[in-house]
Amino acid sequence: MTGNATAWHADPALLSAYVDGRLDAVLGASLERHLDRCAECRSAVGPLADRSLLEQAWSTVRERAESPAPPWAIRQARRLGLSEPTGVLLAAAASLRMAWLVGSVVALGFAALATAVSDSTALWPFLLVAPLVPVVGVAASYGPADDPFEALAVTTPYGRTRLVLTRTIAVLVTSLPVALALGLALPGPTWVAAAWLGPALAMLPVMGAIAGFAGPRLASAVVALVWTGTVMASVRALPETWPVEARQQAVYLLLAVVAVAVILVRSRRTRRIGVVL
Amino acid sequence: MSVELNGVGKSYGGTPALRSVDLSLGTGVTGLLGPNGAGKTTLLRIAATSIAADGGDVRLLGRDPHESHAELTEIRRELGYLPQELGYPSDMTTFGFVEYVAVLKEWDERRARHREVRRVLDLVGLGDLAGKRVSRLSGGQRRRAGLAQALIGSPRLLVLDEPTTGLDPTQRAQLRRTLSVVGHESSVLLSTHQTEDVAALCERVVVLADGQVRFDGTVVDLVATAVGQVWLTDSAVPQAAVTWRTGTGRHRVVGGPRPPGAEAAEPTLEDAYLLMLGPDAAPLPA
Repeated sequence: MTGNATAWHADPALLSAYVDGRLDAVLGASLERHLDRCAECRSAVGPLADRSLLEQAWSTVRERAESPAPPWAIRQARRLGLSEPTGVLLAAAASLRMAWLVGSVVALGFAALATAVSDSTALWPFLLVAPLVPVVGVAASYGPADDPFEALAVTTPYGRTRLVLTRTIAVLVTSLPVALALGLALPGPTWVAAAWLGPALAMLPVMGAIAGFAGPRLASAVVALVWTGTVMASVRALPETWPVEARQQAVYLLLAVVAVAVILVRSRRTRRIGVVL
Repeated sequence: MSVELNGVGKSYGGTPALRSVDLSLGTGVTGLLGPNGAGKTTLLRIAATSIAADGGDVRLLGRDPHESHAELTEIRRELGYLPQELGYPSDMTTFGFVEYVAVLKEWDERRARHREVRRVLDLVGLGDLAGKRVSRLSGGQRRRAGLAQALIGSPRLLVLDEPTTGLDPTQRAQLRRTLSVVGHESSVLLSTHQTEDVAALCERVVVLADGQVRFDGTVVDLVATAVGQVWLTDSAVPQAAVTWRTGTGRHRVVGGPRPPGAEAAEPTLEDAYLLMLGPDAAPLPA
């Protein structure tokens, strides 16, 4: 194979041997070089190739080129057992909520910083912000204004309720470790670092129950307002840890149980298709 | 029957959007025509299980969507829906967008899901744009991406709210070809402002006005209601039900008494539609 590449053409036997993989490396590479430059030989080699093999190869190329790679966090979560389809849903949600994730970390950071510089004499900034971060995060992944897929999600078998719950868990998984780590780093009683989880986990079903009547935005606003009032009231007249002490935790548990009951009753009685929470 | 509505009503804040609508749809493509505010989107949302009717009986694909969540889920497994307004996340690729909906439709096995996503993208002519961000697609391409997600799983009931919005004539022709194939095995209910789409695609047409069904029949039957009531004149005819100056400089007159010296014209679907809605109807956009 010398001279002008298009001045000669490979004979069918040579092309068949190439397609079957019977040429040695040098001759095969040489013919490939020729095929790059010779349209006539390219069109002659096409029909000789196994059609199904070509389609399989093309399918693999498309698969690699078109399938979006999940974000790093989702890849790690999948290694820990997150199902692949749920990873697809959360990858989309995570990309939609990036601004919220950054905002929540910044808010938590400032709250922890405010508590730290006061040498633990002012725990209230952390106690105020930490339980509200998951509440606001869930509210943000809830309503039509925040979800471009809302109109579709309500008509799919996966369902809006399941989607909201999946995202709620994702919000908790992404926000709780940061808040817990910051809480442990703060001066003051160690148990406070985890005690705020009580009101945080109670506020989610309470918000869900109110949202069924008043919508997620108003529900989260009501919950945030009540929690802010509780924390600020304790600052004036009570010990700073009062909002997360044992007796109050029992109240939060009771509220959570009532809220879950309201949600369940509504989900059974409502005739509003697509709306459970 | 895929869709059976009996005496279905729906109000928003005391304002009725649908008033006792009766409708039965089987396999094939049905076009829903009507002016803005006629109740088309409300009707489609009820058929897509997006909202519930206030009253009346609704059966979709032989099931009652109000009976239980299990029944509702069974309906949704065989339903495709393109809403009038659909958000497109700016940071998603076209493939990612359709794949997300495929997961919501329970396509859990990755390889099968990817094959299905590629199939529907090829079906709407977006196969080559699968890796492009949705934010960089044109309006017509986004609409086709929306249609692609509705076609996932070859649903038995396809509900499309103005699928031709934003499409150029070539894309509309392609959409018609796609839907005519889908309509052989599925029930397609679509709303549109394009009467030529209905004429070219739909075996059946339903005209909705003021929340009520004004006409329900074949396109030929609707056109037949305007026979003998459409004329061409050289000057304007103020007493006509609807009239406008055409591109040839002559005036098309629909309804009202026959103008002196008028030339009878072959009625179109748009003529019949305008005649049915009366003098308040404006000519549809071309």
